[in-house]
Amino acid sequence: MIMMSTRQWALTGLGVAILMVLPLLLHNFWLVNIMGRAMVYGVVALSLTFLAHYGGFISLAQTMVAGIAGYAVAMMAPTAIPLSTMAMPYALAIPLAVLAATLAGALVGLIAVNTREIYLLMITLALAVGFSLFAQSNITWFRGYEGIRNIVGPEVFGLPFRTPMVFYYSALIVAVLMYLLVLYVVRTPFGLVLQAIRDSNRRTAAIGFNVALHRIAAFALAGFIAGWGGVLITFYNIGITPSSIGLWATVAVLIMAVIGGLGHPLGAFIGALIYALMDTFASTIIGHDRFNTLIGLVFLSIVLLSPDGVWGIGERLKATLQGKGSKPAVEEAAGNETADRGS
Amino acid sequence: MAEPFDFSQAPEALVLTGVSRRFGALKAVSDVTLTIRQGERRAILGPNGAGKTTLFNTICGDYPPTAGQITFFGTDITRLRVHRRARLGIGRTYQSSLLFSGLSVLENLYLAVRAASAGRFSLRKAGPADPDVARARELAGRVRVSGFLDTRIDAISHGQRRQVEIGMALAGNPKLLMLDEPAAGLSAAERPELIALLAGLPRELTLVLIEHDMDVALSNADMVTVMKDGLVVVEAPPAQIADDPVVQSIYLGDPH
Ligand SMILES: Nc1ncnc2c1ncn2[C@@H]1O[C@H](COP(=O)(O)OP(=O)(O)O)[C@@H](O)[C@H]1O
Ligand SMILES: [Mg+2]
Repeated sequence: MIMMSTRQWALTGLGVAILMVLPLLLHNFWLVNIMGRAMVYGVVALSLTFLAHYGGFISLAQTMVAGIAGYAVAMMAPTAIPLSTMAMPYALAIPLAVLAATLAGALVGLIAVNTREIYLLMITLALAVGFSLFAQSNITWFRGYEGIRNIVGPEVFGLPFRTPMVFYYSALIVAVLMYLLVLYVVRTPFGLVLQAIRDSNRRTAAIGFNVALHRIAAFALAGFIAGWGGVLITFYNIGITPSSIGLWATVAVLIMAVIGGLGHPLGAFIGALIYALMDTFASTIIGHDRFNTLIGLVFLSIVLLSPDGVWGIGERLKATLQGKGSKPAVEEAAGNETADRGS
Repeated sequence: MAEPFDFSQAPEALVLTGVSRRFGALKAVSDVTLTIRQGERRAILGPNGAGKTTLFNTICGDYPPTAGQITFFGTDITRLRVHRRARLGIGRTYQSSLLFSGLSVLENLYLAVRAASAGRFSLRKAGPADPDVARARELAGRVRVSGFLDTRIDAISHGQRRQVEIGMALAGNPKLLMLDEPAAGLSAAERPELIALLAGLPRELTLVLIEHDMDVALSNADMVTVMKDGLVVVEAPPAQIADDPVVQSIYLGDPH
């Protein structure tokens, strides 16, 4: 994908228009617990997809970074139970929380700056698990196992944030803005350099770019995106606990991104929607334990049958209909890495 | 044969003093000392595994020397990071193309131009009037890939990739250009184009060329360095190279 064509812009506009009138058609449960939920988790998955697809960095720390924004907003929220000494209006707490996530993202980028592939996975996973365990054991700030409750979010036009319309439209605005931000950034020199690093970090340095700095900036931007997701997820869950950012939550976001397809930013939202649907309906029909097995099986079959996810299936169908062959993005990337090692 | 050019009075562009590079027990480059002056065209010959590519890697910084010192126009660059060396004016190509395969030809060249300009880090999209884009288009013309500007690298031919390789190395207006087997895999028709391109390089540019093809190597060289097993075994003007007994013994049975 070199550039968004007029047709793609038209499709994007159509998609947003449909999402905007959806509240007229959908029951509140669908609006909030399926669509709204898919969008707020989709934003966190989007930050992972952004790093993976454009930078070639698979980071498992994105849930943790979102959790840092979630904890930050909870600690500063004027409604928090128990209320901390840092309470301040949401208008201040939300931007500060997103800033905290951006800085945390940069820090993850800095720590992992020289690692690639499996080592990057391991180090970001270690950071994620470490942070969740720390939050669980720290009482003073993180309130330990119980977490921080009653984070209801700001009032918008006098309406509580948890009003279905308010939550839905807030999630929609954030999701669309983050999605467009990614599409814009990847066409800027900064975004092109990220793709250059993905294809050959040796060459990127050899022409004069500071690869480390661009990597850290990419993780900071991913932190900014995940931070918005983390704030909204905390409002959605009316609070935050260590388990909501633990190992399973980390894996869940990875599953969303992979099921949807790492090959396009939209895949993150498709994956988050499929996950929300399965979690809601499969859990009630077959029970929660079996849901984990089911989502695991879906994940496995996607990885085995269509490594570029549902988005990739769509792309291949399109290519078949147009009579053109196409290969999965994941395979391409793997080939490039091998080329990069030899000289 | 290159134009006669007296570079003996020119400043020293690249000086290697006792440069070695180890990979574990293997000494890929062993105690290499050489001086290349500004404007000189230096060919590096030697059998596969002689350490030619590794020598480039020590100079550009991909694999810095494990011993010895490298100075570039008087500046010690031995421990400098890769992108810092590039910004001092060292451009190189790779033996097997190392391009941004997911990006277009124009984007590859544009990034190489951009990397050499101030304000590399930018979140502003380049417009059609951007001088860096104009320069990238001009480079594309110079290396004859203007017909494929919007084609992704993984969709162009091997010969075109070799051309883009050179375009990217030239993009930063380097003072030192290092080409690693630019003729490798080129068709007979593509070779004269390459020779013409090399002959058209500005005379003040310093060129180091690794090349198996004797025609390409010797037609452009003022001086030839022959390597074997990491060592420099011969350093002589091209006229003396073909007759050199050491060179003959190396190339006997190695038609490359
Ligand atoms: N990154 C590396 N790691 C380990 N060994 C290497 C590496 N690069 C080169 N070598 C070894 O160093 C020797 C010289 O290789 P190279 O510089 O590529 O030779 P040439 O370019 O003259 O064919 C070879 O034995 C090669 O296997
Ligand atoms: Mg070589």
